[in-house]
Formats: sequence, C-alpha cells, structure tokens
Amino acid sequence: MQKTKFSAVAATFLVCFVFWVLLDFSFKAEELLAGAIVSLAVALFTARFFIHEDAGWFLNPKRLFSLLRFWCVTFPIELVKANVAMARICFGGCRDIAPGIVKIPTELKSDYGLAALSNSITLTPGTITMEVTEEDGRNWLYVHWIKVRETEPEAAGEAIKGTLEKGLKEVWA
Amino acid sequence: MRIVIDLLIAAGLVFATAGTLGILKMPDTFSRMQAATCISTLGVLLLALGGILYAAVMMHSAASAIKIAVIALMVLVTNPVGSHVIAKGAYSHGIRPETKMDTDDLGRDFDE
Repeated sequence: MQKTKFSAVAATFLVCFVFWVLLDFSFKAEELLAGAIVSLAVALFTARFFIHEDAGWFLNPKRLFSLLRFWCVTFPIELVKANVAMARICFGGCRDIAPGIVKIPTELKSDYGLAALSNSITLTPGTITMEVTEEDGRNWLYVHWIKVRETEPEAAGEAIKGTLEKGLKEVWA
Repeated sequence: MRIVIDLLIAAGLVFATAGTLGILKMPDTFSRMQAATCISTLGVLLLALGGILYAAVMMHSAASAIKIAVIALMVLVTNPVGSHVIAKGAYSHGIRPETKMDTDDLGRDFDE
C-alpha cells in the first residue's frame, strides 16, 4: 500500500466539499461545518485509492488555464464535429461504416494525461478506447473506430486524437 | 429566450433520436455502443443546457440550475468509464462482429 500524500488528501477533500456545497446549496455555518467534517473523513480514508501522483498541479495557473481552455474550447468543438458526423451516419441508415480496432501511440506519460485522453476519446462518438498498454517505452491505445480511414498507427493517431492530445499535453506532460 | 431554450431542447432530441436509430440499426455490439455515445454526450448536454437556462431565466432558481449542471457533469464523467469497461468486457468475453472487421489490432496482439 502506498503512503498517502498530503496533497492527495487535500485534493480529495476539496472535490468532496465542492460537491457538498453544490448539492446542498445552503450557506449556513453548521451545514458547511458538517460538510467539511464528512469530506475530511472521506478524504482521509479514500485518498490513497484515487491519486498516486502529485496532486498539486492545479495550483499552477498556466496549467489550470490550459485545462480550462481544453474543456471550454478544444473539446466541445471536437465533440460537436463527431456528433454531427455520427448523426449523419445514423440518419443515413448506418450503411456508411467500416468498424475496426486500431492501435495508436501516444506521447502522454502521466496517469492523469492517459486517463484524460482515453476518456476524451471514448466520449467522442465514433471512437471507444478499449485498452491501454506500454510497449518499447511508449504508451499505446487500442481504439475501436466506427469508420477506419487509416490503418497506419501514426496516421490513425493523428486522425483520432490530433487536437485532443495537443491540448492535453500543455496540462499534463 | 423561450425560443432559445426550445431550440436547445429540440436539438438535443435530434441527437438522441440519431443515437436511438443507430442502436436499432447498427450491425454489431461495438458499433451500437458508438451510436449510444451520441445520446449521452450532445443529447444530454443540450437538454441540460436548455434546463439550466430554463431554471436560471424562467424560474430564477440558481440552486436548480446548478443541480442540473452537476447532473450533466456526472454523466460526462461516468459515461466514458462505463462504455470503456463494457467494450473491453464484451471483447474479452469473445463477442466479435458478425462481419469480419477490416482491422483488428487488439485481436492480432492478444488472441494468439
């Protein structure tokens, strides 16, 4: 069992407390105090299961800004583009498909980056991440793709995660 | 403002309809899951956006608006994890498309 880091406890506590405030939505002192106590207990017991790397990255304003830009600009654009393409396939009778599983390389190294990238790929209609492996010092993703246009790993990777990976690389190397 | 809200909800329903059509007509498990992603992203997001605007502008209730935003956030966080696990589980359980896939790198690397 890994040692629980202070930053991990702090980050888990913060997330729990923010959710308490958002769901409860009353700002009386006793309610906030009860929320803080419960969040602290939850954070102390569960932080070691969630975070294994340094959790202090969101205190760095440049990385936080990059993440906000990714969530508010880059990702929604990709999401809408993929959704429109998918809706067109569906309304066209689902005949225009060529499903397959391709293997693509990624330059992201950290747990955060890999999780964010594979979840972003899965959230985009038309691609689902099925497996993450490490080979020859690089991380590889196996992605189910509804319409395979490229079978070469590098070219397929560029088509699937091009802008997503660039946006995430600024946040988590 | 009312028109904007209605348009957002109608657009969300269009994407949900597309996803449902896809689930009914796609040929195999994985392609069906791809179509279902359409419902849980833009379908839910546009509906939630309409709901947030309705709660904030028509009902003047910030608490309801924030709760709808939390619902949308929860769907966005849990959906990719769920579909990833379902797809991986289906594949390792031996479910394959009826028609042979053009490229199947996962099968090539793990099946032998």
